[in-house]
Amino acid sequence: MNRLNPSAYNHAHLLLTLVLCASSFTLFTPLQTWILILVGCAGIIRISLFLNWQKHQISVRTINLLAILSAIVLATFGWQLGLLLGMLNLLALACSLKLMLLANRRDYFQLIGIQFFLIGTGLVFNQSILFSLLYGMLTLMLLLSLAFHISPSTSWRAQTMRIAKMSLQALPLCLMLFLIIPKLGPMWQMPVGKGSETGLSDKVTPGDLAQLARSSELAFRVSFEQQVPAMNQRYWRALVLEEFDGKTWQTAPYRDTLRRRYQRTNNRFNPAVSGPRIDYQVLSEPSQKPWLFGLDVAISHDSKIWQGREYQLLSRFPLQSGIAYKVSSYTQSPLLPDIEVLDRRLNLQLPESGNPRTRQWVKALREQHKTEGELIKAVSEYFIQQDFRYTLNPNPMPVDPVDQFLFEEQAGFCAHYAGAMTYALRLAGIPARMVTGYLGGEMRGDAYMSIYQYDAHAWVEWLSEDGWKRLDPTALVSPLRLDFGLQQAVAYEDSFLADSPLRRLQQFAWVNEFRMLLDDMDYLWSKWILGFNRDNQEDVLKALLGELSTLRLTIAGLALVAITAILLALYHYKHWLVLAKKTPAYYYARSLKLLDDNGITRPHWMGPEDFSKQVQQSMSTDISHIFEHITGCYLQSCYARGGNTKTQGLNQRMRTLLNQLKQGLKKKKSSVRDAQRIDNIS
Amino acid sequence: MFSKHLSLKITQWLDKRIPPATDVSLHRRNIFIFPSRFGFLFLVLCVALFILGTNYQNNLILILAFFLLGLFLVSLFNSYLNFSGLRIVIGKVGYPFAGDSANVPLWIETTTKKQTAHGRLHIALYGKNVQLSVDLDRLTNPVDVAVPTSSRGPQAIPRITLSSFYPLGLFRCWTHLQFASTILVYPSPHPCSVVTYDESGEENQEGPVSDQQGHDDFHSLTEYQPGQPLYHVAWKQVAKGQGMISKKFSGSSEREIWLRLTTSSGPQREADLSRLCFMVLELDSQGYRFGLELGDTLVPPAQGNHHRHQCLKALALYGFSEVSHE
Repeated sequence: MNRLNPSAYNHAHLLLTLVLCASSFTLFTPLQTWILILVGCAGIIRISLFLNWQKHQISVRTINLLAILSAIVLATFGWQLGLLLGMLNLLALACSLKLMLLANRRDYFQLIGIQFFLIGTGLVFNQSILFSLLYGMLTLMLLLSLAFHISPSTSWRAQTMRIAKMSLQALPLCLMLFLIIPKLGPMWQMPVGKGSETGLSDKVTPGDLAQLARSSELAFRVSFEQQVPAMNQRYWRALVLEEFDGKTWQTAPYRDTLRRRYQRTNNRFNPAVSGPRIDYQVLSEPSQKPWLFGLDVAISHDSKIWQGREYQLLSRFPLQSGIAYKVSSYTQSPLLPDIEVLDRRLNLQLPESGNPRTRQWVKALREQHKTEGELIKAVSEYFIQQDFRYTLNPNPMPVDPVDQFLFEEQAGFCAHYAGAMTYALRLAGIPARMVTGYLGGEMRGDAYMSIYQYDAHAWVEWLSEDGWKRLDPTALVSPLRLDFGLQQAVAYEDSFLADSPLRRLQQFAWVNEFRMLLDDMDYLWSKWILGFNRDNQEDVLKALLGELSTLRLTIAGLALVAITAILLALYHYKHWLVLAKKTPAYYYARSLKLLDDNGITRPHWMGPEDFSKQVQQSMSTDISHIFEHITGCYLQSCYARGGNTKTQGLNQRMRTLLNQLKQGLKKKKSSVRDAQRIDNIS
Repeated sequence: MFSKHLSLKITQWLDKRIPPATDVSLHRRNIFIFPSRFGFLFLVLCVALFILGTNYQNNLILILAFFLLGLFLVSLFNSYLNFSGLRIVIGKVGYPFAGDSANVPLWIETTTKKQTAHGRLHIALYGKNVQLSVDLDRLTNPVDVAVPTSSRGPQAIPRITLSSFYPLGLFRCWTHLQFASTILVYPSPHPCSVVTYDESGEENQEGPVSDQQGHDDFHSLTEYQPGQPLYHVAWKQVAKGQGMISKKFSGSSEREIWLRLTTSSGPQREADLSRLCFMVLELDSQGYRFGLELGDTLVPPAQGNHHRHQCLKALALYGFSEVSHE
């Protein structure tokens, strides 16, 4: 059955279609390609209906068939997507089908509602300034579509102005709500999307990090409150990897169980700290992972953050969006193990077999060097004496990787060095573990520091008498990495950011300057919009109101309500204001009042001209003459063409005339009084 | 039972709140405003976005949710202000026959001192479905509202509901207007043979016979009355520019014929009134001069539109003791 075309030249439907297409295509990564194609098809169908190329809607039966097929396909391929992506794909699919079906008001309103929600979901995945602007624009377009739906014959210009005006009116309300409504924690755990896998992982096979180091994506930003520590001291701890299976390092499963147990009982870890303190704020980019970053012994009192007993910071929920948190670091404080026996046992764990040459080598070393310090020195010297090379392009080492690395390749990335060193120390009976995180960071003036994915690093910690000690074997091989960063360290092989030519342009000064400028904007965006949290909220309110007390908050709330009410009242009763603004009508009314005081009242049915004549008959000529002028001006302001342009001069004239009238009447009154007095005397 | 009682209460309250008038400006006291179904959907959406934003700790989604909420509030005022700019004046109501619908013309003024109203205006009878929607930006006055009628006699215009979803469809602004005007419903004409009486009261079954009309006996020239057949117009005189003048024929002036109601009560009466209505129309269309006798009411013999209206009005009002229409 063919149905008539409700979309022909319907701007509301056109805008809706455009928004659906645009918002779907911004979700390019999370959405499946065939769903995008379906959305595109729906868009084309709707646009051809709009242009009236196609006169009839697709029949409901066809769409039902399509819906069943799509549902089957989505159910088959979509189950492995996970809940969030599955739901998102389903939403987009439903939208596209509904768009094909769109016929009546109800469909339209449902589609609009879903569109707003889709835009919200888009913001889960894309939060940069550009995307936010785009989504803002899409929101306005949806509003415009609604406006066209309600009053279809208004021009685009008027419609746009109307929406702009309403949006401007809504904006202060929006800001007020954003500032005032308390920031709540997540109510329940939301499904996490499998976004792009950049960033650290809780499983490291040496070589992985080299891949990561090819990415110029931002990892996080830091703004320091006092002095900035030196480049080679900026070891940003993220993950502690304690389990080794011969190839891959990962977090110890027992640690996870233990942490969950502590979290359940809310047993927080408060390490003993001493020495100087560095305060800073970290703005992390969304990473879909829970781990956070801090220097050395980092303490955070944020309720969202869990303090791990292996000295690592964790967010309670995976970072689906950026997060801002305050940290204090005690750089000189020792990293004392919480339960020494446990740390010892976990960090002496070794795979049963594999890497035989390393085992023999360490055994030989151990016999020569009895103390821990000597042994570590011996292993370090091996790295220095042999001709080890620091490279971003290590060869794959599939079998016995440590053996291969130490005795054959002798070239690798930081994870190779850290892995080999840790393994060697464990073989020698020294508790050791691999720590991954970032090293360094690029300072932007005094404002903030950006840490990119290519700053990813891995190093070693071993357990000494007084806590865990940091040991960075990479530093032995490539001191440049520590002091000047990766770019300098691998400058000899020209492999830095080989995959992103744009970023390599930063050798040109102005390109770099421009990039920095964009970075600055992005920083402010992340700090004040994305990272605006409860602390910021309290700070802003404190700055506005002073100390936060119930009384002050109440007063502020009431004042806000009162101001809003007053503004509304003013807006509502605009015509009062107009009268008070002294228009010709106002002066005319004043002159009528004056005459009324002097005994001549204008009956409500009498026109101004007639009344002027009546005044002529009952008043002396000087007064009636002035009043005639006033009436003339008033009539001119009412009926003259283009009257508004001349009102200024008219007002001026009427004011003088009114004054004359006032004086004339006063004079008349006094002369009458005089006459009476004379009468009385005579 | 209960709902009947409730609707009665509501009607009484409405009568007090919006009393009948012929010229209504919409303002605070006669406008109702409430979120539409889409408005509620929109609120649910705001809550959903708030939860989404909170759970993902995503400020941008929160801002979106707050912006939409702010827009909802702003929309409330815009909606009200727009609707309060309307002024509705009822025009001259037509005279329908029972069973037909009456056209109630509404003159809608969209521009007041403060602003101009926009958007679609939906018009319905109170408690009924929307009858017509007009676009206020492309308005042609008057807007005709059809009011169905069932029986003859004066009938009050039911409350007319005007509603608007401007600007974003989030709120429905509406009012139930009562117009201080009545519809006079003529009886529905029932075809039958024409029975007339002459002055002496003698019944004439066959109706006025052709030779009695005396159409050929020219009597005099008179001023043309609207409703007189065009073939009575003295076109020669009209062509000379003497105005519309019609010829008067001796037959039609000398012989006066009467229509008479024979039954005065009972169920038969309505049927007789219907027949009389038909006869009036029939005689009028043939250009007769006739009178009508309805019990105490007498309409003296005459011709033309005005006379027809007088007759039909007498028929419509027969038995109603109320004050006559107009």
